[in-house]
Amino acid sequence: MLPGRDWRGPGDPPDNAEPARPPRSYVYICCAPHGRVGVSTTARLLSDYFIASRRGFVGFDADPHEPDYAPRFSGRVRNVDLSSTQGQIAMIDRLLVPDGEAKIVDLWSRSYDRFFTLIQDIGFVEEARGKNIEPVILFHADPSQASPSAAYTLANALPTVETLLTYNEGAAPFGEQLQDRLAVYPPHRRLKIGALDTLVGRALEPVDLSLSYFLLDPPLDMSLVVRAGLKSWLIPIFAQFRAFEMRRALEEATWLL
Amino acid sequence: MKPAVILVGADKGGVGKTTVSRALLDYLAANNILTRAFDTEFPRGTLKRFHGPITEVVDIGETSDQMRILDTLNSAQIKVSVIDTRAGALGATLRALRDVGFLEAVKAGEFSFTLLHVLGSSIASLDEIAETAPFIDDANYFLVKNHINATTFFEWDPVTNRKYFDRVNPAGEIIVPKLDEMAYEQVEIAGVPFSTFVANKTAEGDPANSSFVLRGYVRTWQAKIAEELRRVRLLDILAQRD
Repeated sequence: MLPGRDWRGPGDPPDNAEPARPPRSYVYICCAPHGRVGVSTTARLLSDYFIASRRGFVGFDADPHEPDYAPRFSGRVRNVDLSSTQGQIAMIDRLLVPDGEAKIVDLWSRSYDRFFTLIQDIGFVEEARGKNIEPVILFHADPSQASPSAAYTLANALPTVETLLTYNEGAAPFGEQLQDRLAVYPPHRRLKIGALDTLVGRALEPVDLSLSYFLLDPPLDMSLVVRAGLKSWLIPIFAQFRAFEMRRALEEATWLL
Repeated sequence: MKPAVILVGADKGGVGKTTVSRALLDYLAANNILTRAFDTEFPRGTLKRFHGPITEVVDIGETSDQMRILDTLNSAQIKVSVIDTRAGALGATLRALRDVGFLEAVKAGEFSFTLLHVLGSSIASLDEIAETAPFIDDANYFLVKNHINATTFFEWDPVTNRKYFDRVNPAGEIIVPKLDEMAYEQVEIAGVPFSTFVANKTAEGDPANSSFVLRGYVRTWQAKIAEELRRVRLLDILAQRD
């Protein structure tokens, strides 16, 4: 380059710029120590939230026997068996790719202990942070006695990982004592998935129903009541996801200091 | 520090002697102990494949090679020598060390001698304990239970267990946990020390592309072995600290 000439464009870094960090990626781990408490629903909702906001994501369904999440997003969500080393590699090595895309894990309840033991043993969180990847746990509460203690065990094991106490009022109802029951959990931020009317809930079942496309262009053959019910269920959930992202973005914005 | 010899051996094959030697060399390197290694799997040398720069392949039955090891113990700047015996050669190696006067020199306090006796899960392997006993009076003798599979080393049978394990008075037992098979095989393919694999480097020091999960398995396994070696105070033994 000739002296005095600078071929850099306005977007190029100055000479003394620090090496660029990879873009921040989030790994959302949807989990519960017990089955049928709405974990796959949350993974599905998160996936549709990213599609609706025109962003990519990579998903993993860790139930090798009866996957519910993977068939809904074929091509984007991979079915893995965490009882095998190959399955662990397929998922965990991919979670650690710093490509800025969200990663969503639908953790099968029977793989819950194995997965969290593994990620502690291999230093997953430290490795992720080194690559600007932030794990977030969506721990699904349920009315069983063991659920709060499992949440405390996880919080103690991974104290630096943000956990959202997720409660699905349809899949794992707490009833009228909701606030009292949630109060015995660790003081995590909360994510509420509302209950759906049975009829409206049935509309969610077809594997080919995309909630993101539903919001943009509801199918005409769907009942108006069902459409309205689904929409009023989805909007506050997506608003919570958006609020989470905005809060994290603000917390990371050093220019506000 | 007195020159120290650590002999890793077993007469039985397939019990993981070289794996234990490799883990030991990594542990010593991690603790800044300069070490040289001798691989008695002549002429092939499995240990040399992984720790080439510090390893010589020797034929322990040859006088010239015995001289290469023992006559340099005092003169070498590196004070710790690890000898990885090939299958079937533990007894022969111990006899050779006795015959050349090494065990006498240990008794006289000239050298420190540590024997890591790697056990398999068979009765034949346990029989070796008694055969080894005459040679270990002045050695720091450790029984190494290498869990390369789900073996229990007859712990479920107290009579059998006592019959073999009560014959000697070891300085301690070292438990080597099982390493995930796929992780083990990937390190085999890479042909590098475990620590190099964990650091995601090639033998030449270039960045490698090994699975984080497999590296994590190896790191955890190494940490458990290091904890065992700390528990038996191996570094204190080498430094002759009380």
